[in-house]
Order: sequence, then structure tokens, then C-alpha cells
Amino acid sequence: MATLLRSAVLNPEAYRTVRSAGDNAPAKARSFSTLAPRLDSLNGKTVYLVDTGFGGSGKFLDQVQAWFAEHMPSVTTVRRKKTGNIFRDDTKEVWNEIKEKGQAAILGVAG
Amino acid sequence: MAVATCSRTLEQEYGIPTAPVSTYEFAGFMSDDLKFHGVPLRVIYTPHPVAGMPPAVLRNYIEGKDPATQRVVVEEIIEALTKPVSDEEFTGDFAPVSRTGVRQPLLESDTEDNLQRLFYERGWTDGLPIILPTEERVAEMLTGTNRAPDEVVAEIYLHDSQEYLKFTVEMVAIVAVMAGAQPEHLPVILAVASTGLPSIPGSTTPFACMLMVNGPIRNEIEMNSGIGAFSPRTLANSAIGRAWTLLTMQWGYFRLKKQFWSSQGNPIGYGNMCVAENEERSVWEPFHVQKGFRADESVVSIFRGWSFVNNVVGSSVRSVGEDTCVLLGALSGVYSAATLIFDPLVAKHLKENDGFRTKLDFARWISQNFKVPAAQFWGTDLVHMLMAPMAEQGIEPYASWKKLPPETLIAPYDKPENINIVVVGGETSPMWKVADFAYAASAPVDKWRARPVSDGCVDGTCGLPDEP
Repeated sequence: MATLLRSAVLNPEAYRTVRSAGDNAPAKARSFSTLAPRLDSLNGKTVYLVDTGFGGSGKFLDQVQAWFAEHMPSVTTVRRKKTGNIFRDDTKEVWNEIKEKGQAAILGVAG
Repeated sequence: MAVATCSRTLEQEYGIPTAPVSTYEFAGFMSDDLKFHGVPLRVIYTPHPVAGMPPAVLRNYIEGKDPATQRVVVEEIIEALTKPVSDEEFTGDFAPVSRTGVRQPLLESDTEDNLQRLFYERGWTDGLPIILPTEERVAEMLTGTNRAPDEVVAEIYLHDSQEYLKFTVEMVAIVAVMAGAQPEHLPVILAVASTGLPSIPGSTTPFACMLMVNGPIRNEIEMNSGIGAFSPRTLANSAIGRAWTLLTMQWGYFRLKKQFWSSQGNPIGYGNMCVAENEERSVWEPFHVQKGFRADESVVSIFRGWSFVNNVVGSSVRSVGEDTCVLLGALSGVYSAATLIFDPLVAKHLKENDGFRTKLDFARWISQNFKVPAAQFWGTDLVHMLMAPMAEQGIEPYASWKKLPPETLIAPYDKPENINIVVVGGETSPMWKVADFAYAASAPVDKWRARPVSDGCVDGTCGLPDEP
């Protein structure tokens, strides 16, 4: 018959905190103002298609670009590949170009 | 994930409306990301996977339905860029949970079988039975170090929940007990823990790591650097290697689809190729000395990659160099990283017969002589993902390699210093292993010992705990 272990057994889990010690900044509140204003429509606009680097993203965006050419020819699409590390937001030149020459961006594909 | 991070930057810093696209497999990850950043991005999901799909399938993804919403993907993309954000659209709670120092130090009293099951069901083990960390066993384990039990060894950040995990000396000792380690192994395990590096990083790829110990402690704790050093037959190698993976579990890296994504996994994760370098039989400088440590320091080094290939019989037909190049052909060459693991007989041969005075001499030869067609190099997804962005940035030699005709030969191991060479084995046959492992880190062991190491220590017991 199974008997209770006589010794106390310790928990291997770590101490869990949401923030590092000393950081008492208030939690971020829910806010929709953090999104950019949306466009009235895409007609006549320039939309950047940004390949963030994961496998197949470029070919997926090829199809997005082809779809716009066929179905919404008034939209100008521009392809760009994100530079730098695929896991980080470490690029500026592509973002600056979009800010200067574009009105919207499609980014993909995560996965 | 870069898509969400970059989308946030464009939205918030550049005022550009975005439509971030992800495959549905990562919906949970995206959901966590949105929740904890408090930015309600309009993520559009496609079926999974995208990688490797032909154009017709990808077109169907675009014109077909988002698996999350059952709405047409391209219509969602257009709407994401044009429809004003409404309160109704997002119902999630975007405020992070407040949590400070949550931990129950002792478990409820129970039977051995039930506790074994509890450890398994909570995701604290690798599935095999563990040594239950009783107060007495953990106290004994702690005799292996002079450090205070409450000293923080590592602080781990979990991206999905934005939590910090504080891991103390006592917690490392608990895990060391679970892994079957002895007190004299604890300094090495603490050194590994101090790097904060997981044995299995969060990735869909089959990451694998190698753990190698240099210096006097190898022999003091009877680590195997000789015959069958990589095989499951030596307590110190097995327990230290297993402890690292059990630590990684406590650090949260095995939570399915939170941190753990590896589609097939990798059996190396059971023991992490934990070995010692065979310094006594090596004709070359020990690895830790190459990294700037003194020869009499004890050091643990970590290597990370995915795969290794064995030379199985030796090199009586081709030279060691030529055969190493053949084996490297099976690996990606990403970041010019490789780890060559030579039996002492091979190292001796390379030095005495082939004239490679140092490890770096041979690494330079490999760097110059291993060549592949440019198309083969860039055709590997891993290289395309990780190195093509550098070519796009104009970084040489990658920018030039990207412009070459497909059949042009390139030497992808352009950084010989990234080719690590270590000596392990028992000299029963002149064989070796070739791995795509990159050097990740080294950590000193001696500061975690039970007693300070004296300069004159020669009896093989330096810094070990006192006899009970």
C-alpha cells in the first residue's frame, strides 16, 4: 500500500513577477488611440507589401500584389523586404520610405 | 514576432495603417502578443503553412477564408486598412495581469507515485522519473556550493506573458536533485543556469545544444571526455545535461505553443550532448583557453544549432579535411558557424601529419576550401531567412554572393573564428562529428564551488564539498 512520503518535497518553480524588481510603472491601459488613423479607401493610394522574412512570405505577397493588380488596379503596390534580423524590429529605412511614399502597409507572413 | 512588432512601430511611430498577416497556427501567440502590448492590431490569418506552398494555393489563401473569422482574407486586409477601429471590434482584456513573487515553496504531502505524477503533469519533467527533491536532498545538494540559497542565479523573461522568472541557487539545487545529480555537480549546473540560456529555445525549428566542460573540475567530478563521452553511460555527463533541460522546463520554455513550438523536436534535448573536452589527450589548446580563460579555471561552454553528422569509419580514402568538407555539405553554413568534434587521434593526425599547428589553422583551411554553388547556399530556407536580409542591407560578402550566377562556387564559412573545434573521444578509432552548432556562451564554474580553489591544488579535490 502506498504511503505518504515522510519528507516535504520542494517546488521547482521560479518566483514569477510581471515586471522586474523596482519597476512600478502602471500597467498599460486598453487604448485604441495607439493605432494609426485608417484610410477612407485604397483607391489611388500606395500600399507597401513588406516581406518580414519567414519562409514563403515573398511568394504570398506576390499573390497579394497580383490580386490588387487584377481587382483594384487603382492601388499602387510596392514590394519591400524587411532588412535586418527577421525576429526584431531593427530597420528604419523601409519604414521611412513607407512614411515618405506610401499610405498603408501589409506585413507578412508570421509563421 | 516581427510582424506584430513591426506593425506596432508603423502604426504608433509612423502613423501608417497596417494589415499584419499571420498563419492561423500562431493565432494564440498573436493573441498573447496583442493582449500584453495593449495595441489592438487587426491581424489577418491564413491557413498554415505558407512556406513551400505553390502560387495557386497561396492565391486560394488570399481569396479564401480566414480560419479565425470565416471571412475572406483579402477583404479583411482591405478592411484592416480602411475601417475605423471600434470598441466592439476588440473584446480582449489588454491590461497585463499583476503578479509579484508568486510561488508555493513546499508541495502538499503525498505518496511517491502521486508526486512523480504531479511533477510530470505540471510539466516539470522530461517524462522519465525524477529524484523527488525533498528538503533533506536539497539541503545535501546545497553543500555543493558556497553560495546563499536565496541568491538569484538567473532572471528569465517570458515574452508571451511578460513575466520575469527569478531563479535562485536553491531552485537550481532542487532541479539538480531531480536530474539525479550529486552535490559536486552543482557548481557546473549553477554555471549553466547563470547563462540564462535555455537548452531548447522557443522555435518551430529543432534546436539542439551541446554543453562542454573544461578545466580541473572535469576530472574531479568524473566527467567523461573519453570513450563514449556522448553516450548515456556516465553519471556526471548525464545528470548535468539532463539538469539543463529540467531547468529549461522550469523557465517556461516547454509550454506548448507559448514558448515550445518545435514541430518535430530533437532527441539531443534529453542530455544536451554534455561532455568534457579531452584536454589530456588533445594536441591543441583547450577550448576555454581559446576563449580567454586560464587553463586551470573550470568553465562550461554552450554551443547551439540543430544537427550533427558523424564520420563513421575514419579517413583512409579522403583526407580529414576533404571528408570534413563533404560532411559540412549536409549543413546550412548559416552565419559561418560550425563545431567540429574530433577524437584525439584525429586531432593528433591533423597536427602531426597534416601540419595544422592550432585549431584555428584547420578552421582557416576549412574556411578557404569548403565551397558550394551560390544557389545551394541561398536555396536553404534557414540561410534565406537569416542571411538574405544582410545581403539586402549591402553587408559583404553576402551582398556580392547574392548577385552571383547560381553555379558560382562560394566559400560560405567566411569567418574561421566561427568554426569551433573541440577534442572529445577515447581513441578507439579516428572519427569525428561535424555540427552546425554556433558558440553561444562560456561561464566560469569555480565561483559556484563549495570551497575556494587554491592555486596549489593538485590532488583532484579542489573546491569539492567536504566529506559528510
